[in-house]
Amino acid sequence: MLSGAASLDELAQAAPTMPSLDTGAVTLVQAEVLQASFEMAYASREITLPPGLHPTTPPLMVVLAWSMADSPWGSFAMAQTRVSCRSGVRPRGFVTGCVTTTEAAATALSERWGLPARVGRVSLVRRFDAVELSVGDSLALTGLDPDPLGAGDVQYTVTATLAHTPKGLRLVQVEPDYELRRVERVRPRLDRFDAGAWGSPDLTPRHPVTATIAVGDITVPALRFLSRPDVMAFEGTETV
Amino acid sequence: MRFGIFFEMSTPRPFSSETDHLVYHNSLEQARLADELGFDWVWCVEHHFLEEYSHSSAPEVTLAAVAAQTERIRVGHGAVVCVPEMNHPIRVAERAAVLDIISNGRLEFGTARSSTWTELGGFNVDPDDTKKTWDEFVRVLPRMWADGPVAHDGRCFSMPERNVLPKPIQKPHPPMWVTVTSPGTELDAADRGLGCLGVASTTYQEQERRTQEYHRRIRNCDPVSSVVNDQVTTLNFLYCHEDADVAAAGGMRMVGLFGLNNAHLLWTREAYPTRAYQSLGNLAPGGGADRSSPGDPRGIPEGIGVGDPDRLIRVIQRWEDIGVTGINFLLNASETIPQADVLASMRLFASEVMPKFMDKGAASTAAGAPC
Repeated sequence: MLSGAASLDELAQAAPTMPSLDTGAVTLVQAEVLQASFEMAYASREITLPPGLHPTTPPLMVVLAWSMADSPWGSFAMAQTRVSCRSGVRPRGFVTGCVTTTEAAATALSERWGLPARVGRVSLVRRFDAVELSVGDSLALTGLDPDPLGAGDVQYTVTATLAHTPKGLRLVQVEPDYELRRVERVRPRLDRFDAGAWGSPDLTPRHPVTATIAVGDITVPALRFLSRPDVMAFEGTETV
Repeated sequence: MRFGIFFEMSTPRPFSSETDHLVYHNSLEQARLADELGFDWVWCVEHHFLEEYSHSSAPEVTLAAVAAQTERIRVGHGAVVCVPEMNHPIRVAERAAVLDIISNGRLEFGTARSSTWTELGGFNVDPDDTKKTWDEFVRVLPRMWADGPVAHDGRCFSMPERNVLPKPIQKPHPPMWVTVTSPGTELDAADRGLGCLGVASTTYQEQERRTQEYHRRIRNCDPVSSVVNDQVTTLNFLYCHEDADVAAAGGMRMVGLFGLNNAHLLWTREAYPTRAYQSLGNLAPGGGADRSSPGDPRGIPEGIGVGDPDRLIRVIQRWEDIGVTGINFLLNASETIPQADVLASMRLFASEVMPKFMDKGAASTAAGAPC
């Protein structure tokens, strides 16, 4: 069985600090949600994950973006890169980088849910026959040829993100619930990607798999589980 | 009740030629012993690229060796992935017919469509299409085996009139099965008159529901050929030992390791949203939205064939009461149980457990019941 082999010391340097684990829940309405997945090189498989997580084969990088007209922190957009993995036997997406458009959103996402959010330019634009995501100079992605799917056909993997918590350096499990009203599958094309800007120079999105663009409400609930990033989830999981 | 053994060719890291050699030759030894002990089937899966979980990418070759080294046991091609990017249907028909000839008419023919992105993506298969191609395969293969020259104008492949040769020994063709992981596939099997080859562990309750629905539906089936294979098998683990504690320790280590390897596969639905893969097998991870505690090892399914002979008799009796007509056993995972212990487990099972069920319909189905 494979396990992550990234340096925890290096990952910890980029991890945000959560002053409290008492996050409460928030619902974000009328969000546009883009998710695109790319197979990575096998050489990226273990070195993009901490030792407490297990890679998939082939390794998969997922770009997830939200855009919403309103929220408790005002209008904002967010994009993150994730590596598909397993915590114990459960599917998870390990967040390597996160950019959001406002200081208020960045503070909320990092302090309440442990996402390594920094402020930057994020643009998610829906056109008639395409969707375009751009994040500063570090990422540009186009989704082409929308094809309708059922709301139940797409799934969003639960998030695992590394943060300094009151209990120490932990993988924080964030479990957004998506209530979708419209889903379309699109063909992804990655036009620009700077791995170094997304938390790991070892991210190697090579082979596009698929993407979806959806509209719906997102509820981010209170945190329930943490796990130690240095050991398997079976021995390192704690209840919040 | 009939009993089979089921090969995934699960292989531990670090990978090497020696490790693969060990796994394959241990499996062949198990097949020879199963033949001697009176097991009914030896099944061999088809998987590609699935590190640790299954290195069984050429089952037709493995089964040719099994056929040559055994006398009586039926050889289960379980199952051929019915998508043309992996297996052209003409080649499937030809290989299966040769296996039936080599084995002197002992072939059981399983069909499947693959469920991991690792495999489908590796062959550049569109997951939206696999159910359609599987359906086309199972309808055309019996014609290739039973008829003379065959022409086909289909959605996934077409061919001008040709005589696909050789023809299998069993007439009109070997019994046909469908692997069932997702709920609902048993209905696809029943509607086409195909056997239900369970390849994911299920609970008693879920299997009972599936079995009842299968038997109800198959009575009114529109079969893909002139024979109906009305059988329901389920997949299980086997580790039988006189000492229940020893059995539990070794057997649960195998079950846990198999579950971990299985959970670490990249399932199609996780990577590629599609209507064609609505749900996952029972041993598969609970989907990307599985919010349960990562520290909770997935529960061990009930009805597992791990224990002393008395426990196994009770477990199998329960499966039989549900209406299951056969159980196929995984014997090892990543070689976690030493080969000598696997063979001892098989011998104990055959001497203490199998006789309790031998007098209840042990006759071979051969080519199935007339429609």
